[in-house]
Amino acid sequence: MAFTLYSLLQAALLCVNAIAVLHEERFLKNIGWGTDQGIGGFGEEPGIKSQLMNLIRSVRTVMRVPLIIVNSVAIVLLLLFG
Amino acid sequence: MPGPASKRRIPVSQPGMADPHQLFDDTSSAQSRGYRAQQAASGLGYPATSTLPQAAFLADPVSNMAMAYGSSLAAQGKELVDKNIDRFIPVTKLKYYFAVDTVYVGKKLGLLVFPYLHQDWEVQYQQDTPVAPRFDVNAPDLYIPAMAFITYILVAGLALGTQDRFSPDLLGLQASSALAWLALEVVAILLSLYLVTVNTDLTTIDLVAFLGYKYVGMIGGVLMGLLFGKMGYYLVLGWCCVSIFVFMIRTLRLKILAQAAAEGVPVRGARNQLRMYLTMAVAAAQPLLMYWLTFHLVR
Repeated sequence: MAFTLYSLLQAALLCVNAIAVLHEERFLKNIGWGTDQGIGGFGEEPGIKSQLMNLIRSVRTVMRVPLIIVNSVAIVLLLLFG
Repeated sequence: MPGPASKRRIPVSQPGMADPHQLFDDTSSAQSRGYRAQQAASGLGYPATSTLPQAAFLADPVSNMAMAYGSSLAAQGKELVDKNIDRFIPVTKLKYYFAVDTVYVGKKLGLLVFPYLHQDWEVQYQQDTPVAPRFDVNAPDLYIPAMAFITYILVAGLALGTQDRFSPDLLGLQASSALAWLALEVVAILLSLYLVTVNTDLTTIDLVAFLGYKYVGMIGGVLMGLLFGKMGYYLVLGWCCVSIFVFMIRTLRLKILAQAAAEGVPVRGARNQLRMYLTMAVAAAQPLLMYWLTFHLVR
């Protein structure tokens, strides 16, 4: 039961890294999750798949630079304190 | 397009409700007058009498000025903090959740343990803002979850102590573990609400309040487990699990499901089905977490 807040932060960092690593051209387009394939007209209900694709695209755009900083801090902390 | 559940408006002038917009009682009339008079008298007394030893220090003009300057600096700093604190912590919004009184707490605790006879689960509205918790037992509050969380940590320490497994850092570990699970729950529910595109007025703080109600059942279970062993623990925990399940379903149904479905009429359509599954999943996660966070405390 050693589930501390710090391990939660580490898990969140790893998840965001995983989302940021998905490559637009080589991977997402091939499984039909590219950002230009999601727009389905102006119906009122976007649907889960297009919401997910929007979420992935926004996370990748917004978190690109902060992730560099947070990853460096995490690496330094892990090296120093294990 | 189905909008959020209709808000019941109570008439503005209602006897017995002083002013619903006012969150806390106004106690500034009688006592502080006497206090202020006392303060003025003692303030006037200082420079006049030089019999007290402190008066000699204050009579010196330089230190007088220094004191005045220091107090004006402090007042400026306080103003600055007051102006900017609202950007980081929504203090005024938080105050709403702590506007409770004893009657409300008693009724809410009873509702958490026995929600089966309560008929009307809608929150009353007063001119588009929800009424403060002390005036409506259905409104969410943060007082009970906060107190229950702290009591849970203390009861966990007590349980560990009776089994000779206690050490002070274990308390911190329990606290951060429970907080981490709470944060994880909130993030998971917010994510699924976003994916299912629910138009709801359920704020994050509301969600934290609802998720914090399960600590009440956990405390009851662990205390019974301490007194009566595993049998008592399972009985009380089982009862509280079912109660929290029913409570969460009845509360969240009004917030997440559309108007028609909330009134019990089954509405067809994939979206409402998804919303129903989401509500059931959130409610079902509560008993699971209640068991997960307490079973290691009762031997």
